[in-house]
Amino acid sequence: MIQLISFLLIGALLLVSLYFFARRGQRAEGGSGALVEARQALNTLRGGLLPAELVGRIFARNDLEYVESQASKEIRDLFLEERTKVALFWVSRVRKQVLSLRRFHLGSARFYARLNLRTEMALAMDFAAILLACRALQVFLYIRGPYAAPRIVGSTAASAARVCKISEESLAFLTPAYAGQVVDRTTRSARS
Amino acid sequence: MDVQQAAEDFRRRSLSNMGPLDRLIYLASMRDYNTGLYYHDGLASRFSAEVACEALSDCHREAFRELLGCSLEELVAQMEAYMASTHTSPADFLTAWRGLEPYRVAVPVESDPLAAQFLFSSFKIALAILESHLNPRPAELSA
Repeated sequence: MIQLISFLLIGALLLVSLYFFARRGQRAEGGSGALVEARQALNTLRGGLLPAELVGRIFARNDLEYVESQASKEIRDLFLEERTKVALFWVSRVRKQVLSLRRFHLGSARFYARLNLRTEMALAMDFAAILLACRALQVFLYIRGPYAAPRIVGSTAASAARVCKISEESLAFLTPAYAGQVVDRTTRSARS
Repeated sequence: MDVQQAAEDFRRRSLSNMGPLDRLIYLASMRDYNTGLYYHDGLASRFSAEVACEALSDCHREAFRELLGCSLEELVAQMEAYMASTHTSPADFLTAWRGLEPYRVAVPVESDPLAAQFLFSSFKIALAILESHLNPRPAELSA
């Protein structure tokens, strides 16, 4: 009886290990998807969400001053409502793209990029800070409008830019220049 | 290189006297709604249809970026100038723009949704400001 139970336990353990191995295999297969997603998130952040000119325009105070000089409460309310909507859209998109990059770093980056422990820790802190800042910013924007927390806007954009820089390095092997280096190295080692 | 030359040629010949809003609308009008391709016979005859299409697309993106960089006050001024250039009555112009929102089809195809959303929102505010200039309320008149 004891023998039977031990065999059943070993069998169950083997099944569980098999299940985890199968899951790992699936993740490796889906690796290219994660890379594409990370690359798209990086491009969206860099090209569409973080350029200083655009962020500066969304939260520009001179627009508010101009609207206030128009002496109409309706227009001021419309302006604040519209800018709040755009600001919330900006925060939600930054958050979504940052989450996508975090997924890449948690799941796939270790297979492709050799980040040292210090960089990984800094990255983890940045991810946590951005996601927290985004949530805080959403609350501020809902309650007090687009000009409520300019410092949080600035720090969110700066942290997101840092995360982009590290992610860019992790994805550098996808760029043609890097591929060229790899080919060069392979050719040289084949010759020698 | 050809595309750059074509874009430069087009800027010099056709766009040099236009503001970003006029350019955005003018260039959007050269785009086929069904294919997203730009056509300009003169430019195509000097270069090629493909090069002209790329050059016009570049100019369109450039106008979009410039308009995004304008302050609300500048946008209102540009809309005022554009409205005057159409020789339509301001009331009709504002009614049509508020109803049809033609600016929504004037942005380049691959524009980032946030940038497009920001510009649409600014147009909406600018239209409200223009309307208030047209029909000042009694309180504003006395002020």
